[in-house]
Amino acid sequence: MDPMVSMYISQGIHGIAYGMILFLIASGLNIIFGMMGILNMAHTAFFMLAAYFCYVVVGITGNFWLGLLFAPLFTAVLGVVMERVFLRKAVGHMGELILTMGISFVIVAAIKKIWGTESLPLQMPEVLSGMVNIVGVTYPVYRLFVIGLALVILVFMLLLLYRTRLGKIVRAAVSDRDMVNALGININLVFMFVFGVGTWMAGLAGVAIAPILTVFPGLADQVGMDAFIVVVTGGFGSLLGAFIVSIIFGLLSSYGVQFVSQFAPVLMVVFMAIVLAFRPNGLFGVKE
Amino acid sequence: MNILETKDLKHSFGPLAVLFGVDLQIEEGERHAVIGPNGAGKTTLFNTITGTYHPTSGRVFFKGKDITGYKPYKLARIGIGRSFQITSTFTNLTAFQNIRLAILSKDGVRFNLLRPVEKMKKITEETDEMLKRINLYDDRNTPAASLSYGKSRALEISMALATNPELVLLDEFAAGMSKEETADAVALIRKLTEGKTVVIIEHDMDVVFSLADRITVLHYGKILATGKPEEIRNNQAVKDAYLGDLEV
Amino acid sequence: MMKNKLNVVWWVIGLVFLAFFPKLFGIYYTNVVVTMAIFAVYSLSVNMLLGYTGLLSFGQAMFFGFGGYGTALALTHIPGIGVLPAIGLGVLAAVALALILSPLVVRVSGTAFAMLHLAFGQLMYVLALKLYNITGGEDGIANFPVPGLFTESLKSSPEHFYYLAMVILGISTWLMWYMTKTPFGQIQVGIRDNAKRIDYLGYRVPQSKAVIYVLSALFAGVAGSVYGLFHNLVSADGSLGIGMSFTPIISVMIGGVGSFFGPILGVAIFQLVDELILRYTESTELVMGVILIVVVMFMPTGFMGLFRTLRQKISTRRTPEAKKEKA
Repeated sequence: MDPMVSMYISQGIHGIAYGMILFLIASGLNIIFGMMGILNMAHTAFFMLAAYFCYVVVGITGNFWLGLLFAPLFTAVLGVVMERVFLRKAVGHMGELILTMGISFVIVAAIKKIWGTESLPLQMPEVLSGMVNIVGVTYPVYRLFVIGLALVILVFMLLLLYRTRLGKIVRAAVSDRDMVNALGININLVFMFVFGVGTWMAGLAGVAIAPILTVFPGLADQVGMDAFIVVVTGGFGSLLGAFIVSIIFGLLSSYGVQFVSQFAPVLMVVFMAIVLAFRPNGLFGVKE
Repeated sequence: MNILETKDLKHSFGPLAVLFGVDLQIEEGERHAVIGPNGAGKTTLFNTITGTYHPTSGRVFFKGKDITGYKPYKLARIGIGRSFQITSTFTNLTAFQNIRLAILSKDGVRFNLLRPVEKMKKITEETDEMLKRINLYDDRNTPAASLSYGKSRALEISMALATNPELVLLDEFAAGMSKEETADAVALIRKLTEGKTVVIIEHDMDVVFSLADRITVLHYGKILATGKPEEIRNNQAVKDAYLGDLEV
Repeated sequence: MMKNKLNVVWWVIGLVFLAFFPKLFGIYYTNVVVTMAIFAVYSLSVNMLLGYTGLLSFGQAMFFGFGGYGTALALTHIPGIGVLPAIGLGVLAAVALALILSPLVVRVSGTAFAMLHLAFGQLMYVLALKLYNITGGEDGIANFPVPGLFTESLKSSPEHFYYLAMVILGISTWLMWYMTKTPFGQIQVGIRDNAKRIDYLGYRVPQSKAVIYVLSALFAGVAGSVYGLFHNLVSADGSLGIGMSFTPIISVMIGGVGSFFGPILGVAIFQLVDELILRYTESTELVMGVILIVVVMFMPTGFMGLFRTLRQKISTRRTPEAKKEKA
């Protein structure tokens, strides 16, 4: 195959892999926002924390898969603790935004204190570290694994939301919280669960990205900002919007790096500005 | 001459149609009541007239001019005011500040960044005068949130009237009031709306029959009848649809 | 009348105190006061949006930074430009940015408004780093001339700089205070309370928001410009970073959202806490984070709210009879 074409294809897959990671973070943000009306500013700090947890687990056990299993769970537990202990005390949207931002500052500070500011390498498992040849394009297995992982999570989420009783309750609570409460369902418990799942997804994304970008304290800003932009552009609370915009942003960033390397990060914000100029609440957003 | 007219006004929320072609006619200077059972579309009718919603189809005319889809601020400026069924005052501001915002708008003082509002004698005087007329002068410096229910309703209605509109639409002004409070409110409206055109939505039939010159009965998004109170009282269709249940 | 005269006396005492401050306390504390005054104006600009219109922005540093960069660029590239025109150009840059953004941002509110500014703020930050030729990249713009009104340069005379800065910042503070007293200021409070009703009273809400937005940017620009002059340095991390967007929010929260003088008190407390804690830890992030959490959880109305509650308690204790009669 023409090497140029093959390069475009491989850049495309790169973009989709990154888009999938963005989607994992953004959809976690979105289900929490959709359900509870809270935009969790600490979400990306949790995402980064999971990468560090994974680094620790891999350091102790030498097994990436254990990291993939446990790091997101630890993160989810911390997220639930934050929701129970802190978030319930915050008054109003402004209080929630500022409180979660404060928590994110504290997490970042703690990370710097504990692990320092250098980049820590995370080895990916043997199985995933090679290259694979698909119709004439050689491509790193790990990124394909990331895409696959995200798709599995997506399907899992859809099944959970649309095929289980719990999913029904969650969807009902999104549209009418009081009604669900009136039905005798413990809404606080549901909130806790949703918050846990959302944070867990952020954790998964953190682990997934760690072997690609290494683990460092700027991770939350670098990737997290993109994820927030995805949520704003796709529309608060919209999973479909988050999915479409994640993919677009992934591609924008990978082709952007190739053609206008300096200004790749700018492309996304410009895209966001254009979308919002026509749809102030995002592509699939409904009014607050 | 009709001061307000709607022509074949329709509105639906998604697949749910609420108004099925309403031709409302309000004569200048009259007090007109819109009544009808719950879900008849009364508040939706108000909302489509006053710019909360853009009607799905049909037109709205004010003094012969097409005002369909005008935004609320624009309606306020051409002389249409409204009050809300659920009290919608500025809860953190005092009664005085609430009324003053209406007076400022009436006098066209909007983007003034040059003079302190306290120094505007005329504004202060007009505001105080209004507060006296509505018996809230003693509560001048009380935050709206701390007013008693009756008083906060009076403030709600008065803000709609303080901009001095030619036409004012009052959405269930007596909702939740006691008998005495209702009587006070009726008296207040009589006093404040002299020479103005008033459209009210009301459930309390005593209020309707004591205040209204004419009545329109709305039933499932359509006008069932319009006429003088005694005509409505004797209208068989209305009796069947509505009054019958209420007056037993 | 008596109260008015007493107020005037207090004002005169305050002004005289500030006028002789450098002589009395030396250069270190003089610089502390300048820093506080800069952040006071900056925090007041945030409070204009947050406290008076209910708009929370996570990107106010954009305007602060534009003020700084505008002034620094003017002083670097325009030979012989005076300090006031240079500040003016910085402020103009901030205002221009606000004018460009305003049609877009006034249509949203709440969370979307906050996030939109987070994103735009980040964009400006990235641009400042990447557009090396203009902004000096990570190093920023440093060592530009700082002419005085009557002297060649203010660089070696911090005392003179103090007077210049205090007059500019003092006037800014007074202007912002004055604005809250005008009809326009009243309308802003109305928008915060109940934007729908403001609309039905005949005011145009988006336009009012746009005006306040631009004014807020203007004063953030003033603060940023003086800040750049003060440090003789404007850099992406120093003037445009996300921390710079949060510092004023913290001060406003500590002092009390919505009260005019709250943010000034907040700045003083925040600077003090920052100074004290930084003796034990290097991490500003930790300090900011903990303060944010504590304030939101335990004193959502800030110190001003605390004072107000205390005063109410005292006054009700003093005059229980009078209160009863009223009720």
